[in-house]
Amino acid sequence: MIHLIIFIPLLFALVGLFLRGQARASISIFAALSSFALTAVVWMFKIDTAYRTSWIPGTGVFYSVTFDGPSLLLALVATLMTSITLIYFSFRKDSHQSEGMYLLALAMLTGLLGIFAARDLILFYVFFEATLIPSLFMLGLYGRKNRVRALTKMALYTIFGGLLMLVSIIATKLYTNSPSFDFLELFGRTSQLDLETQTWLFLGFVAAFAVKLPLFPLHNWLPDFHAENHPSGVADVMGTLYKVGGYGLFRFALPLFPAAAQNLQWVFMFLAAFTALYGAWIAFSSKDFKRLLAYAGLSHMGLVALGMFSLNPIGMAGALFLLAFQGVYSSALFLIVGMLEERLNKDSHNEKTTSQALEIGHVRGLAASAPAFAGVALVLWFASIGVPGLAGFIGEFSIFLGAYQANPWATALAVSTVIASAAFALTAYQRTWLEEATTTIPELNARDWFVLAPILAVTVFFGVFSGSALKLLEPSVQAVAGLLGGK
Amino acid sequence: MNLVAPDVNYYSMLPFITVLLTAVFATILPFYVSRKAIAGLSAVGLLVALAASIGLWNTNLSSFYGAYRADNFALGFGIVLIVGALITVISSVDVAKRGGTMQAEFFAILLYAVSGTMLLASAHDLIVLLIGFEVMSLGVYVLSSFKETANSEEAGLKYFLLGSFASAILIFGIALVFGATGKFGLEAINTSVLSPEFKNSSIAAVGALFIMIGFGFKVAMAPFHQWTPDVYTGAPTVVTQFMSVAVKAAAFAGFLHIFGLALQNVSGWQTPLQFLIALTLMIGNLAALRQSNLKRMLAYSSVAHAGYVGLAVLASPSQGFSSALYYLGVYTLMNAGAFAVLNVLSKDDDGLEIESLAGLGSSKPLLAATLTFFLLSLAGIPPLGGFIGKYLIFSAAASSGYYGLVILAALTSAVSLAYYLRPIGLMYFRPRVTVLPDFSGRSTRVLLVVCAVGVLILGLVPNAVYGLLELVKK
Repeated sequence: MIHLIIFIPLLFALVGLFLRGQARASISIFAALSSFALTAVVWMFKIDTAYRTSWIPGTGVFYSVTFDGPSLLLALVATLMTSITLIYFSFRKDSHQSEGMYLLALAMLTGLLGIFAARDLILFYVFFEATLIPSLFMLGLYGRKNRVRALTKMALYTIFGGLLMLVSIIATKLYTNSPSFDFLELFGRTSQLDLETQTWLFLGFVAAFAVKLPLFPLHNWLPDFHAENHPSGVADVMGTLYKVGGYGLFRFALPLFPAAAQNLQWVFMFLAAFTALYGAWIAFSSKDFKRLLAYAGLSHMGLVALGMFSLNPIGMAGALFLLAFQGVYSSALFLIVGMLEERLNKDSHNEKTTSQALEIGHVRGLAASAPAFAGVALVLWFASIGVPGLAGFIGEFSIFLGAYQANPWATALAVSTVIASAAFALTAYQRTWLEEATTTIPELNARDWFVLAPILAVTVFFGVFSGSALKLLEPSVQAVAGLLGGK
Repeated sequence: MNLVAPDVNYYSMLPFITVLLTAVFATILPFYVSRKAIAGLSAVGLLVALAASIGLWNTNLSSFYGAYRADNFALGFGIVLIVGALITVISSVDVAKRGGTMQAEFFAILLYAVSGTMLLASAHDLIVLLIGFEVMSLGVYVLSSFKETANSEEAGLKYFLLGSFASAILIFGIALVFGATGKFGLEAINTSVLSPEFKNSSIAAVGALFIMIGFGFKVAMAPFHQWTPDVYTGAPTVVTQFMSVAVKAAAFAGFLHIFGLALQNVSGWQTPLQFLIALTLMIGNLAALRQSNLKRMLAYSSVAHAGYVGLAVLASPSQGFSSALYYLGVYTLMNAGAFAVLNVLSKDDDGLEIESLAGLGSSKPLLAATLTFFLLSLAGIPPLGGFIGKYLIFSAAASSGYYGLVILAALTSAVSLAYYLRPIGLMYFRPRVTVLPDFSGRSTRVLLVVCAVGVLILGLVPNAVYGLLELVKK
């Protein structure tokens, strides 16, 4: 079952290589949806998916996978959002010009599911890095003018961090004399290492995850990545789902090296809080929607890191919750921008008109001609800035609650982010949708509603009934927090 | 007088003899048959040798009182060498299409060189090892000056002069080791070093250093790599292809054997070797960054790869041998594959400008896709074979305690990404500027796909092959 979930997208991507047009679109959507359906079955019937077999014998590398609480939630979000995004993309008028996008998105989905499922550290690393290839190709093939620069930046940042993690992974096994790279076997042995060794190994892992989160000052690749990607937003959604740094911290770095994490807690909490504030601050002055959303995402990731490094159950549960659901509503905002771009941009090959379509304030007062569109956008913006009643609030609030117990000063710094994000989000919203109308755009049609309705439903439902998601996270969060001595 | 028949087991030498016999036929037959038939004959001979190597797996036969051994180490390297040679033979067929016909002697000399490399990998005696080393070198000296162009002749002469110098140093090292221990057999040297009466440790250490320099030259380790870019660029592309995989693999087989079996208990060479590796990693990768010619870039990249495999020489033999073999196996497929693509795309043997690859993704999808595979694998990106190879080497070196070098190797391989990704970016993300020729025949296209699939398989299911390699351990 779990192998099907992980590899269905990739297999269908290979089949899709030989298809064109509508057939390719249909088969890709089918693959993503069936992966989502199977994941949902695993969730609803609580199926045990653990599977383990030797992968590189003699060196202790195992193909060890399972979907437990946090992985399952993230896998659900990834499969759902990929399905929705591909459906959205197939509705776009310019989708036939970039059909490779379907296959690359599917390949990325397999990589993401592998990242969430892997329990062997080398296997995790393989998925972690392999997902980069389709991501780079998406940017390189369908990106905008300065894509090669953005691509090089992203590749270098990610690979540098990743290789340091690889060295750490190998060293962890050797220092602990563990028979394998399986998390369960490493775990427990690492706590016997002295603090200095733990700290170095921990920093190796953090190097990779801080790039991927991203955390200030390793965030520089992110704005370019979003700004230079295809205006449709498909690549941005996949990129948002690929922000697995917070998950990696929770799953591997923190439980393996609890003493090091506690020792460095205050450093990373301040760094995280600063990232959150810095992201919101730069977002305020962004002139381009994609960059605005990139910095907004950076700000979210700062909060995720803050929750993780609070090292207590409330903060970490909040961080995982925010990580999962920002994958829904932040992704959806990229789709909204894509829809807007499609309505405003006459020629998507023209760099100038594309930039204008993505510029904040280039057109104003769109709510007059498309009130429903404006309403949906407002709900998603509210979710993003953590307005109560929507999914964003639960995550942010729990993070602050948990972080306050660990470090009130860093938390105070981070809480000011809420104000800053309200400021940048509402300003951008006001300039685009309100004020006096300069142009008119078509209202949401049935197809747009088909894409946006499930997203809205998830955002509202989990904002009100967060219990089912939190219940998924609780056992793992308690286990990790127990190790870290959290209250 | 009592005559004792020497210990000769022909079965153990079956792959070696097959290659040698094919070489003899390839020398004589060109008077009677076409050049293409000789190419076919060479390929068949190599395939038979390949089958013989596989058939001998696990039999552990030996000859000449253990001086020649067909153990799994030798057979594993033999298979890698034969595959490298096969790729070269198939690539050389395309050369005819661009006018520069390869004379039939090419195949004969190539096969003699292959037999030398196989002897080098099977030798358990310093003299036999040296014979293999010299046979291989002589063949390759001739091959690199095979084209009657100034570049090619310069390459051949440069390689010959510097190579002879390196051989002399190697021989001097062997003599010192013999002087210190009184033995030529690899295991016997080690026994002698370990015996309590052993007093010549300083002579043995100097000998080890000299041997290290000799091999460092052959595998292109900095600072003895200076010949590499010029020779690799000047020699005909198919010869460069052969040198960069088979010669390197065979030299590493000897390198690993001498230092893993004979001299592992001699101290004094480990620290200099660490410096050599560190220097190789930095110079190879940084210099490759600045190349604008694909052939030259691949030459420097092969210097960098010598640094990675060098880590396996430092590691304990139980892990170093099998990981080096795995790495060189993958490396043969990916590097020879990359050279094969380069070969069919260039109008002469000077290689081509990396910039001219722009737009290849849409004009030559197969060549671009396979080259992408090879470059990504060379960069060590999972899930391709190059990653597993790097992982095995890194973990072998780390378990012997060389953490600093492993971190350096990891960082430099991150740097390497910049120059491996650039051609890929150009091929797919830029419009076409220059129209490149395409000399690929059907056999080459099949070959490229086979190599790419091999690289993928070695990355996805390493247990299939590494399980066998476990048997290489001593």
